[in-house]
Amino acid sequence: MTETIPTDASRGLDPDGLLRAYRTMRTIRDFEERVHDEFATGDIPGFVHLYAGEEASAAGVCQHLDERDTIASTHRGHGHCIAKGVDVTGMMAEIFGRATGVCKGKGGSMHIADLSRGMLGANGIVGGGPPLVCGTALAAKQQNTGGVAVAFFGDGASNQGTTLESMNLASVWNLPAIFVAENNGYAEATASTWSVAADNIADRAAGFGMPGVIVDGFDFFAVHEAAGEAVERARAGGGPTLIEMKLTRYFGHFEGDQQTYRGDEVRNARETLDCLTRFRRRVVETGELTAERLDAVDREVAALVGGSVERARAAPAPDGADLLTDVYVRYE
Amino acid sequence: MARTISYREAINEAIAQEMARDPAVIVMGEDNAGGAGGPGAEDAWGGVMGVTSGLYHRFPGRVLDTPISESAFIGAAIGAATRGMRPVAELMFVDFMGVCFDQIYNQAAKFRYMFGGNAVTPVVIRTMYGAGLRAAAQHSQALYPLFTHIPGLKVVLPSSPYEAKGLMTQAIRDDDPVVFFEHKAMYDTTGEVPEEPYTIPFGEAETAREGSDVTVVAFGGMVARALEAADALASSGIEAEVIDPRTTSPLDTETILESLAETGRLVVVDESTPRCSMAADVAALAAGEGFALLRAPVQQVTAPHTPVPFSAGLEDLYVPDAQRIANAAKAAVDWSR
Amino acid sequence: MGRIVGIVANPASGRDIRRLVATASVFPTAEKANMVQRMLTALGAVGVDRVLLNTDLGGISAAVLRAVRTRDPARDPHWPEVDFLADDPVTGTADDTARAVRRMATAGAGAVVCLGGDGTARVAAAACGEVPLLPLSTGTNNAFPRMREATTAGLAAGLVAVGAVDPDTALRRSTRLTVTAAGRTETALVDVAVSAARHVGARALWDPATITELYCTFAEPDGIGLSSVAGQLCPSPRSDPHGVALLLGPPRECRHVVRAPIAPGLVVPVGVREWRPLLCGEAVAVRAEHGVIAVDGEREIELSGGPAPVVRLSGDGPRCVDITAVLAESARRGLLRSAAAPAEQSN
Repeated sequence: MTETIPTDASRGLDPDGLLRAYRTMRTIRDFEERVHDEFATGDIPGFVHLYAGEEASAAGVCQHLDERDTIASTHRGHGHCIAKGVDVTGMMAEIFGRATGVCKGKGGSMHIADLSRGMLGANGIVGGGPPLVCGTALAAKQQNTGGVAVAFFGDGASNQGTTLESMNLASVWNLPAIFVAENNGYAEATASTWSVAADNIADRAAGFGMPGVIVDGFDFFAVHEAAGEAVERARAGGGPTLIEMKLTRYFGHFEGDQQTYRGDEVRNARETLDCLTRFRRRVVETGELTAERLDAVDREVAALVGGSVERARAAPAPDGADLLTDVYVRYE
Repeated sequence: MARTISYREAINEAIAQEMARDPAVIVMGEDNAGGAGGPGAEDAWGGVMGVTSGLYHRFPGRVLDTPISESAFIGAAIGAATRGMRPVAELMFVDFMGVCFDQIYNQAAKFRYMFGGNAVTPVVIRTMYGAGLRAAAQHSQALYPLFTHIPGLKVVLPSSPYEAKGLMTQAIRDDDPVVFFEHKAMYDTTGEVPEEPYTIPFGEAETAREGSDVTVVAFGGMVARALEAADALASSGIEAEVIDPRTTSPLDTETILESLAETGRLVVVDESTPRCSMAADVAALAAGEGFALLRAPVQQVTAPHTPVPFSAGLEDLYVPDAQRIANAAKAAVDWSR
Repeated sequence: MGRIVGIVANPASGRDIRRLVATASVFPTAEKANMVQRMLTALGAVGVDRVLLNTDLGGISAAVLRAVRTRDPARDPHWPEVDFLADDPVTGTADDTARAVRRMATAGAGAVVCLGGDGTARVAAAACGEVPLLPLSTGTNNAFPRMREATTAGLAAGLVAVGAVDPDTALRRSTRLTVTAAGRTETALVDVAVSAARHVGARALWDPATITELYCTFAEPDGIGLSSVAGQLCPSPRSDPHGVALLLGPPRECRHVVRAPIAPGLVVPVGVREWRPLLCGEAVAVRAEHGVIAVDGEREIELSGGPAPVVRLSGDGPRCVDITAVLAESARRGLLRSAAAPAEQSN
C-alpha cells in the first residue's frame, strides 16, 4: 500500500510544467483566432473547424504524453496537434495548402498529422479515430513500450458505432487506451443534450467495464489531474478509461457557421470559464508564476503564430507533379 | 518436385513463415484463434475456414481473437500498422465491408497521401469472396472492384495455392495496405507449392496458358474456369491465351495489351456484377489504349446485375462458367474470322 | 395551494474522478429518473397533491416528463400533479439546484427531497431554509445523504409534507460548518478539510497526503469519506451538537494512524497529529495560508494568502426528515393502514 499519493505539484506542475501548459493553451488560442481571421480574408481554402475554448482539454491530456504515446483527433484537430508537438509553422502552411505544410498541402485542416510525433491525424470522419487508437495502443502493448494511446472525439462521435466498438475492444484487449470525449454541447448544429441518449457520455463507460469520469473541460488543473490518473493507470496495465470533458467551442461548427442554433453560452464561457483566464489568474495568485513570465509567453506565441502566417503566405503551392505522388509507398 | 498442399495451407504457411521471420507480424480477427473465453480449446477454429489454424500456439500472444466489431479491429490493425506492426487482419466475408469500410478506404488508403508521404501502413486485410457455397446474398459477393476503385489500396486475387503463398508473403512484406481476396470455394484446391518462402510481385500478370486466337483475362476464382474453357476451345481449333492478372491494383495492363496485340480479341471474365467491374475496367483499357489492336468487340463475362441467389440452380446460373466463357471466346473469334 | 413536495435531482452527481482513482460507483441518469418515479408513486399514495421537479439537461426531467405523458390513469398508480420548474435557465452548475430549491420553498413545499451526493445536499441545505429536507444518496460516496429506497423515502417525505406526523418526531435539526475564505463563504454538512493541493483541479478530494486540517459536524464509525477518519478515532454521533477538529500529517510523523475508508474503494492510512471536540458555536482560524479548502469532500476554495480562513460550527443546519422515525410513527398510528380493506388480515 502506498502511504502517499503524489500531489499535483509532483506530477509535473512545477513552474516549468505550468509554463509549458500555458504556452500550449496560448498557442492553440492564438493559432485558432488567427486562422479565424485569415479564413475571413478568403485565403484559406476548404472547411476549417476551430478548437478555441477547448484548449485545456488538449493541453491537460497531452502534458502527460511523450514520444511513446499516440493520439487520434477529430475534424477539430488543430489543438490536439499543437498539444502533441506538431510544428506550428508547418500546420499553418498546411491550412493554407502550401508545399511547406506538414502534409505538403495534401491534407489540409481536417487531415493534419505527424506520425513522427505520434499524432495520427485530425480526421474528417466523425468516429474515425477511436479504432485507430485501439491499434496504436495494441502496438504499444505488443512492443512493450509503456506507451498509451488517446482518442479525442466529440459528443457527435460518442454516438458512432466505431467509438462504442472501440471502447469495447479496448476493454476486451485491456489496452492502454484513453477515450477523451470532448462534449462541447453540439454535434454540428445538434445539441448533445438531445443526441446523447445517456446524456452523460461518461456513463457509457460502465457498459464497457471501464471507469468513466466527468471533468470540467475549462479547467486545466481538473483535466490534468484526471488525465494523469488515466495515463498512469493505462501505463501500469490497468486498462482503458473514458473521460468526458464538459466544455464549449468559441466558434461555430465550421468557419462560416452563423450559429443560430446556439444560446449565449459562448459569451458566458468566455467571461466566466475561459481556461486561459482562469489558469493565469490562479497561478499568479498562488505565486507559482509571475504575470511578467506569462506576458513573455504571450509575446513569444504571438510572434510564432504571426510568423507562421507570414511564412505560409509566402510559401509556394505544391507542384502540379505532386498530384500523383505518395499514393503508395511503392506501386510498380 | 515441390509438395502439393491446399490453397488454405498455402496461405497459412505464408503467414506462419512471416510470423517466424518478423516479430512485427500479428494476426487478428473473429475466431482467428477461435475459442477465446470458452471452457474448451482456446484455438478451436483457427478462423472460420481454418486458415489460421495452428498459429495460436506457435506464436503466443500474436494471434488475437476479436469481438464481432469489424470497425474496431480492422481499424486497430490499421492503427497498429502505423506504429511498426504488420498486422494480418481477417475481414471474414468481404460482404461485411459495409460495417467497417470507413477504416479501410478513408483511413488506411489515404494516410500516405493525406499526410504528405509521411506514413506507411503495412496492413493486410484478408477476406473471403465468391459464390458457390450456397451462402446467399450477404456471404457470396465478389466485391474486389469496390476496393480496386480506391487509390491507396492494393488488391490481390490469388488463383492457386502457389499464388496464394507467394502473394501473401508479398502482401505481408509490402508497406502499403493490401486487401487479400481468398475465394471461399478454393480453400481445398491443391497445387504444388515450394516449402521455402517466396514472393510474387504485385502488378505482374501470369500467363496461365498461351494461345494466339483470343486473349482471356480472368480474375481469381475465374482463372480455373477460363482454363477449362480454353481446353474446350482447343478441341474446336481455337487457341486461347489465359491471363491471370493476380492483382487488380496494381493491374498489369502491359501484359494484357501485349497479348491483345497478338490475338486481337479479348474476353474478360469477372465474377463480380457487371457495372463498374474489373470486366468493364479491362474493356475500357482495350477500347482506349488497345483500340487499334482490336479485331472484335470486347466480350465481358460477368455475373448478372443481381444479388447472389441462394437456391442451387439459380446460384449455378449466376456464376460465369466454362461454357459461357467458351461461347464468348467463340463469338469474338467468329466476329473477325 | 395544496400539499406540495419538491424533488430536486442532480444530473451531474456521481461522475467525478473517484470513479477513476477509487472504483466508485456510476449512478446512471436512468436510475435517478426511476427513483423520482418511484417516489411519485409513494407521494401519490400518501395524499400529496402536487410535486415540483427541477428541470435539467441531463435527461432526468425529460424521462419523468415522458413517463407523465405516457401514463395510463386506469392502469398505473396514482401520481400527484407534476410541475416542472422551467422558468430559470439551466446552467449546468450548482446554481440550478439552489434556484430550484428556493422556488420550491417559495411555492410552499412541505418537504424537499434532493437526489445526489454530499455536494447536492449541501447546496440544497443552504437554500431550503426551514422547509424539511430529505437528502437521498445517488451513489456510494456520501456521508450525509442516506442510501435508502426512494419509495420508502417518498412515503416519509409525503407524510411530513401533508402534516400527518409531528415535526418534533419526524425531523432532526442538523449542524453545519461554515467556512469563510478568500472572500467566499461555503457551508458543509459533514466536513471541511484543508488541503495542501494548490488547485481545485478535479474537485473531489481523494488524496489524504495533502490534507492538513479536518473539521467534522459529526463522525460516524461506519461513515464513508473523510469524516470516517474521525469516526474511527473519536466518534461523534449526528445527534451530538458538537463536532470534532483534527490536525493531520504524514503518518510517520503522527501519534495516531487511522486506516480509514476516505472514499469507496480507498482505505488508506491517515496520520492524525491531534484531535479535539469542536464545540457548537465555536469558530476556528485555519492554520494554512495556501492550499485549498474542501467542503464535504469537494475542493471548493483556492487560498491565496489573504486573511486566515475561519471555520465555524453552528446548530442551524437543515431540518432533515428521519425516514425511520417517520415510518415508525406511521406504524404506531396506523397511517398507512386502511380500515376499508376487507381482505386485510387481523393479527
